[in-house]
Amino acid sequence: MKYPLLRIAMAVGLAGSSALALAETQVERGEYLTRAADCMACHTAKGGAPYAGGLPIDSPFGTIYGTNITPSKEHGIGLYNDDEFFAALNEGKRRDGANLYPAMPYTSYHRVTREDADAIHAYLKTVEPIERAAPETSLSFPFNVRPGIIAWNLMYGDGVPLESPEGKSQAWQRGQYMVDVLGHCGECHTPRGMAGAMQADKRMMGGVLNGYLAPSLLARDLADRGWSHEDLSSFLKLGMSDQGTMFNEMYPVFHNSTQYLADDDLNAIATFLLGDQPPEARVLNEVPLDQVSSSAQRGRQQYLNVCAGCHAPGGEGKPHIAVAMRGNTTLRLDDPRNLLRVIEDGIGEQKFTGFERMQPMPGFADKLDQQALTDLLNYLRQTWGGKDSDLVLADVQALQEEASPE
Amino acid sequence: MANRSLQLTLNGNAAEPVDIPDDLLMIDYLHEYKNLTGSRLGCGQGICHACVVIVDNPDGTSEEVRTCITGAHYFAGKRVRTIEGHATRDDEGKVTQLNPIQQRFVDEFAFQCSYCAPGFVNAATVLVEKLQRQPVAKSQLEKVVEDSLGHHICRCTGYVRYFSATRNVLTELGLVREG
Repeated sequence: MKYPLLRIAMAVGLAGSSALALAETQVERGEYLTRAADCMACHTAKGGAPYAGGLPIDSPFGTIYGTNITPSKEHGIGLYNDDEFFAALNEGKRRDGANLYPAMPYTSYHRVTREDADAIHAYLKTVEPIERAAPETSLSFPFNVRPGIIAWNLMYGDGVPLESPEGKSQAWQRGQYMVDVLGHCGECHTPRGMAGAMQADKRMMGGVLNGYLAPSLLARDLADRGWSHEDLSSFLKLGMSDQGTMFNEMYPVFHNSTQYLADDDLNAIATFLLGDQPPEARVLNEVPLDQVSSSAQRGRQQYLNVCAGCHAPGGEGKPHIAVAMRGNTTLRLDDPRNLLRVIEDGIGEQKFTGFERMQPMPGFADKLDQQALTDLLNYLRQTWGGKDSDLVLADVQALQEEASPE
Repeated sequence: MANRSLQLTLNGNAAEPVDIPDDLLMIDYLHEYKNLTGSRLGCGQGICHACVVIVDNPDGTSEEVRTCITGAHYFAGKRVRTIEGHATRDDEGKVTQLNPIQQRFVDEFAFQCSYCAPGFVNAATVLVEKLQRQPVAKSQLEKVVEDSLGHHICRCTGYVRYFSATRNVLTELGLVREG
């Protein structure tokens, strides 16, 4: 049996009563909403017990540890009532009145409905209580002093204003709630300012996180990178599509959250992101070798040397092994950092829905020098990414320095 | 596909430059152009490591490179060793003495069908050369062998003997220090 609460309820003879039916529905809804809000991402350490906290999250202000949100009375949220849980979710207020660090995305959860918050709480009460404290977080100014967080909350606590839903479809409005509120997608996809808050005037325009770009999710940019409504919703469901696979920070998001979303909600997300009248996804044709720059032409040999064994000489990729370069969305980004980072760092073996796998990609940081990397980036971007200008060595150098400042 | 001339050093000798397709994989170059068929094509997708050769870097270090997913032209100008290059040979090219790793693998019946053996020999050779630069503490031996050989796949599942023979040969060569 899945839910301990249900087990207890049945043991005391409540089975079949309307109270139980309601409770079961609420817990089930809560489980779904907890997935949609991706609470697991931060509140579960790698290989750790679900929701027991301990995951280190690096921020410019120090390392923050995800807290234990199991029903443990001592270490978790076992003593919270629904009101207190709602205050934590919506305002970043701990039960004892202290402010949570804004790594907790209450700036997005601010608009979670009371009904949904209660359901999430009902579900979290059913998970295994873990009697273990998560490591203490200690941050630099302004987050190391209470007034600092209070001031921060006054300025940024309400999050980024939402787009007006006026005249939008039901699906669009649901999608907005899934993306901007529960999914808190903007926490990564909206760039952050000096104080670490999302920049209200740059909603979903793409932010940099741990050296990788969480790309722009604006409709025109998505369409420009080849995304259609169908591809976008199936990408969230399956973790992969013609445009590539989920990698880096989106890979756990897919595993913990988006793969569990109902088709209606996936469609709603795609509707919200691309709009009720989605722009046409841009189709790119391969640019022949004699029409790319001389750097890109040199880059072709780098591609054949170290990439084509898996991605195929014609860029069509190999099923279950390596993604296609043709139509790949990462090649189409103006900012080359994700492409560079992936080539340098590689990607571990990936598992997807329905026994699908992609094998590990080695990193080439020690195999390709800056010139070779520059040429390779130019080849990929100009041949299959729709870019017509060259990157120069200094561009690659600057990105490498940004990734490892020492 | 265009052709392009490839020149490299193979097992200590400069290989005669040859025009080969620019997308030819290294394993095909070794098999089809050099008749060096000891490097094995296994999975063809960079997982099993039966196809690895050794590249000697200018800084004196050596490393394994998978030839089933790496283009032949990646090796242009590089010094490459294959499984055929390890044993000592007489003037007629006949093997007179195996290298210590090969000998130990034979003595300890480390392999069964032998398909993966060239890869394991190369991996263990790279490990020997690494430890010749800096010996390993006894307490770390198990881990070092696991880290160096662990990504090689043996379908006969002879890992235990490969690993044990490698630990023994490292000890025999004086590359394991107390601690």
